[in-house]
Amino acid sequence: MSLVAPTLPAGRYRLRNVVRSEAIKVLTLPSTAITLGLTVVAGLLVTALVSHGASFRGFGFDSTQVALTGMIVAGLAGGVFGALLITGEYSSGTVRATLSATPRRPMVLAAKVVVTAVIMVGFCEVLSFASFFLGEAVLSGRGAPTATLGSPNALRAVLMTGLFIALLALMSFGFGLVCRNAAGAIASFAGVVFVLPLVMHAVSQSTVRYLPTNILANSVMSTVNQGGGPGGTGPLSAGVGLLLMAVYATAALVAGAVLFMNRDA
Amino acid sequence: MITAHALTKRYGTKTAVDDLTFEVPPGQVTGFLGPNGSGKSTTMRMIMGLDLPDAGSALINGKPFSDLTWPLREVGGLLDAKAFHPARTARSHLRWLAATNDIPVRRVDEVLDTVGLTSVGGRRAGKFSLGMSQRLGMAATLLGDPGVLLFDEPVNGLDPEGIRWVRHFLRGLAAQGRTVFVSSHLISEMALTADRLVVIGRGRLIVETSVADFVGRSGRNAVRLVTPDLPVFASALTGAGAELGDRDGDAVTVEGLTAAQIGDLAFHGRLRVHELTPITASLEDAFMELTHDEVEYRPSTLTGAPGAAREE
Repeated sequence: MSLVAPTLPAGRYRLRNVVRSEAIKVLTLPSTAITLGLTVVAGLLVTALVSHGASFRGFGFDSTQVALTGMIVAGLAGGVFGALLITGEYSSGTVRATLSATPRRPMVLAAKVVVTAVIMVGFCEVLSFASFFLGEAVLSGRGAPTATLGSPNALRAVLMTGLFIALLALMSFGFGLVCRNAAGAIASFAGVVFVLPLVMHAVSQSTVRYLPTNILANSVMSTVNQGGGPGGTGPLSAGVGLLLMAVYATAALVAGAVLFMNRDA
Repeated sequence: MITAHALTKRYGTKTAVDDLTFEVPPGQVTGFLGPNGSGKSTTMRMIMGLDLPDAGSALINGKPFSDLTWPLREVGGLLDAKAFHPARTARSHLRWLAATNDIPVRRVDEVLDTVGLTSVGGRRAGKFSLGMSQRLGMAATLLGDPGVLLFDEPVNGLDPEGIRWVRHFLRGLAAQGRTVFVSSHLISEMALTADRLVVIGRGRLIVETSVADFVGRSGRNAVRLVTPDLPVFASALTGAGAELGDRDGDAVTVEGLTAAQIGDLAFHGRLRVHELTPITASLEDAFMELTHDEVEYRPSTLTGAPGAAREE
């Protein structure tokens, strides 16, 4: 019908096109470098300070756990980063440009999750190792007991801490997809990660161990074999804890995805 | 080619778009006219697959938007002048868009050049003026060199030079054989830009026609007469069956007679004529007449308001 004969290439746009586009989006936002850069500085600073001040004479000193303390900062930053990746699209209206270029919404969402996950896993793993080595160096300077990656469960703790924080960021991304604005998403994230533990501690001590914050501090970052399955009362084992966090992140993403597929953009 | 068939969108109990059927053919600028809140933007969002219709369909070259294989290469849409992240540069914005449809990066520089933004391509788009934002939006629509283009209120808030630029831009696209669909509530602008019109009010189609035909439909044709002999002339005119409209000093609007008939009256009655101008109804008049009952939010009595409207 058209006088301009559109010369369309064969096939159609694919996931790799959308993933490339999403990667360009993240990398061309100045806030990405700023957020991640500040996280490195703040995270390593916290690790250094805590390693410098931690008392190591008492019972139950866990050198690895202390050296990973700064990753809690990364958890906060990851939550903000994950939420902003999607809420920024809504606040700026970019989401409409995105869906006009690639209307298949499941594919758009998949691409965003892939890009967020790859960036966060890569970044958090590197930072986790950096935090570990820095913390151990500070501790060794004070004559405190130190750990190496060869120490029992140390490598597991370092690797899983990075993964756990990437999952926190994905959960926050899911919150962002549900709320579609930064204030709501970040408030939800802070509520779950920082406020919920306080409330649950007062209400029901036995459920505290299922909360993300407690899993991170007591199960994942710790090298002590907790062995606490769902039946016990102590902290969960690292594996169970990480798995539970994956369930939380998936639940948030699924809730967000259902809304994303059905709401007008 | 855009085809809307029985398109309907409801928000709660309110029907924003009501059983709307129309066609937008290639090679012409089709204006989409309607008062504010008449459903123009909602219709355009449904065509672009952003909102789901409750009933009916909107097709692009015979396909729903979601079935397009390379959407940016088939449709360019500018629905929102600021649909970009303010912190990203203009060039980066176009780069991620190009990547979605496998469009080569050199196209980014080409379209920046087309809209005259080459020199500010590296600047953050959030710092752009409204006119520059509109141009960036236009550049984005051109990335995939699509045959179908949609623009929602593209001249809103632009200065006269910007408006003129957009007009030439839209006409140029249509002249290349593309389908150009442009919404506006600025009727005078549509008179200069569009070939065809789709006019809606309260979400319903009022008329789909050519601009010339639309003006003709109004049927209000009058002649402006300026004469120092108005009292005598007036009785001669009414005697000949004319109706006299507003008077302003020596000037009067005459309906029911042609300029030629009035001129003949003057000749036979030895009456002086200082001005005799046929007035064709403007597009604006035609629009007002047709949408009079369809304006959703009409100011009630404006007594006491500055420049209070006269009752008709």
